[in-house]
Amino acid sequence: MLDSTQTPLKALIRRRKPGYSLEAPFYTSPEIFEADMDVIFGRHWIFVGVEPDVPEPGDAMTLDIGKTAVVIVRDDDNEVRAFHNVCRHRGARLVLDYKTTVGNLVCRYHSWTYGLDGKLLFAEHMGQGFDMGCHSLKPIHCRSLEGLIFICLSEEAPADFDVMAAKMAPYLAPHDLKNAKVAFEKDIIEPGNWKLTMENNRECYHCSGNHPELTVPLFAYGFGFAPEELDEHGRKEAEEYAKLVTTSHREWESCGFPSTMMEHLDDMVTGFRTERLPLAGDGESHTNDTKAACKKLLGKINDPKHGALHFWTQPNSWHHFMSDHAVVFSVLPLDAERSLLRTKWLVHKDAVEGVDYDIENLTAVWDATNDQDSTLVGYCQEGARSPAYEPGPYSPHTEMLVDKFCNWYIGRMAEHVGR
Amino acid sequence: MDALTPTPSPDPAALRLAGNLPEWNPEADDVLIVREIRDETADVKTFVLAPKEPCIFRYAPGQFLTLDLSINGEAINRCYTIASAPTRPHTLAITVKRVPGGPVSNFLHDHVKVGGELRAVGPMGDFSCFTQGTPSPTPRYLFLSGGSGITPLMSMARTFHDLGEPRDLVFVHAARSPDDIIFRSELEMMARNQRGSFRFAPVCEADGPFNPWHGLRGRLNLGLLNHIAPDFKEREIFVCGPSPFMAAVREMLKGAGFDMSRHHEESFDFAELAKAEPDVAADVSIAEAVEAVQDALAPPVASYTIEFAKQKRTIECRSDMFVLDAARRAGVRLPSSCSKGLCGTCKSKVVSGTVDMKHGGGIRQREIDAGMALLCCSKPTSDLVVDR
Repeated sequence: MLDSTQTPLKALIRRRKPGYSLEAPFYTSPEIFEADMDVIFGRHWIFVGVEPDVPEPGDAMTLDIGKTAVVIVRDDDNEVRAFHNVCRHRGARLVLDYKTTVGNLVCRYHSWTYGLDGKLLFAEHMGQGFDMGCHSLKPIHCRSLEGLIFICLSEEAPADFDVMAAKMAPYLAPHDLKNAKVAFEKDIIEPGNWKLTMENNRECYHCSGNHPELTVPLFAYGFGFAPEELDEHGRKEAEEYAKLVTTSHREWESCGFPSTMMEHLDDMVTGFRTERLPLAGDGESHTNDTKAACKKLLGKINDPKHGALHFWTQPNSWHHFMSDHAVVFSVLPLDAERSLLRTKWLVHKDAVEGVDYDIENLTAVWDATNDQDSTLVGYCQEGARSPAYEPGPYSPHTEMLVDKFCNWYIGRMAEHVGR
Repeated sequence: MDALTPTPSPDPAALRLAGNLPEWNPEADDVLIVREIRDETADVKTFVLAPKEPCIFRYAPGQFLTLDLSINGEAINRCYTIASAPTRPHTLAITVKRVPGGPVSNFLHDHVKVGGELRAVGPMGDFSCFTQGTPSPTPRYLFLSGGSGITPLMSMARTFHDLGEPRDLVFVHAARSPDDIIFRSELEMMARNQRGSFRFAPVCEADGPFNPWHGLRGRLNLGLLNHIAPDFKEREIFVCGPSPFMAAVREMLKGAGFDMSRHHEESFDFAELAKAEPDVAADVSIAEAVEAVQDALAPPVASYTIEFAKQKRTIECRSDMFVLDAARRAGVRLPSSCSKGLCGTCKSKVVSGTVDMKHGGGIRQREIDAGMALLCCSKPTSDLVVDR
């Protein structure tokens, strides 16, 4: 594995200081980026989309994870499958559109035709000795967790996906993502290393100073604070918030909405965290007026005041499930200093645009927040290039989850490249 | 002087030319030897047959022979009209088109070799211009043949030619492509020899893979017939071809007000055969009878118009033919690959009209609902407009 004199990866891993941000090469080195793609994105469960991306049999969606071209399809048994998006003939990319509908999977180049199970069904002019059975599409591990699609590119996928799935399913099920639709989606390219995008997501220290929209529905106290720094008014608010969380959890759980915090961010290979959090104001949704953005609620939810279920996964996603809509985020690294942030807003599949919801209202909070975060990530990326950059300390009150992200990352890298 | 009394040749063939040869009698010996196998087209072969002992064949041109075959231990009888002419009585020839999945035609094509033996009875049948109709002293004929149905008409044409008794004869032959015209060069030769009386008019549905067709194109219809033989109503008409072809000709002639008493068609309809040849009919297998009846009952094949809107081309397509095949034959090029309804390359929007489609997974129900079709596996059930 990579351990050149220019980028002594093992040494960098070994000397990582817990509680501090990572050294600059982790954010800037193309060689470490390659190692990240191999180890982190090549051997772990990566969040890539939602079942409503491929709602019906024959629907297909493509995406790239680094150099790996992937096609996700829904087969005739309604199962979601993933394959390498590479024809077994001359290697042409098989499906070209981001989203499309196919009968079978057909290569444009020479019409080699594969079933949705990946089996080669037709290849003309290949002669008698040609064995169709040896030229199926290469499958990729693919799992749906209550409608959230994860894939793993390695031959052997981390087995503890099942542990996460078992623990998370009851939290996610009430929102019934499988019967939602993608109302809107947006890609932005953040000018930073993928880890900076993730780290930015794992704390709200920066929220009050940067996210006027997001801090309307979200309580500042939900993501940690230093109690000794609060004045009397603040202390009172914090206490009330703590009470609100307790009573809300009790109420939501009593009507079938698991809510309590569960955290395995750095003690599982498939790390994750969840919690259902109360919302400020009218307490309904992530909108500028905190009211539900969609009249038709998700799943069988009949009360918009069910807070927001947060679900974080290592290494590349976070999600917010409200009663009326869900927002899912995936981070797909492009190179050492650029990352694709793909955001999808989902509403009930029967909700009608312009009648039940308005795209601008639905997307306003997170569209603005993503842009603000993208700018902040860019600042960090630029800073990491400076000779003056050195790892700084995380706040023990508000940046614990950032630290856990880095712990997970360093742990996983160490596992594969050695300490 | 020695030329008057030639020395008999030692060649065994000379024996077959000896005078006063007896007539072949299948009741005495029904075995015929395959003396030659000729390739006529890619899927048509001629089998030249002769008796074991030197004798000659007598028959009316247009008659048929019933082969008595044993295929995989099963006895099968099959009638084949004779393609050769009785003017060359030493041999007899049947011309057989390979039928996909046909047990008998494939057996003949694949397993019968020169020197092999075939058992046969006949000749029999009364489809012959030498026995039928009430022709005027100098009759004029119109022969209409489709595919391998050419054989009895060829026998008649060869006979007139060999006898040096040309008749005013228009010989129309419908073929898929120029490569499928059976006996093409011989018919052209006869037309040269009998200039002014014998006219040969092949009609092709499409170009051949390597031979473009510049002659009459399409399927036989009244317009074409009027063009080929404007005086067809004054002719004695003999028809042989696949049942749908003969049915279509019947309808066409009736529609044109033709005097149907002068229309003669070859038929292997079991009932008619039983009436004409009760002894032979009893030997013909039940399976064949059922097949013949089914053939006879098959409705005439309809044909629809298909307009390719973008290419501004309009073609005809039979209801039993895939749109892609019809387009190919008419020279309309469409993207396609698997021809099995798998790959979807030929997926097209059908702007109007309906098709009968049996696809192999290359199209989604949603797409079908949106008016798309795979042309490689769609047969028209109405006129169509296709966005291609």
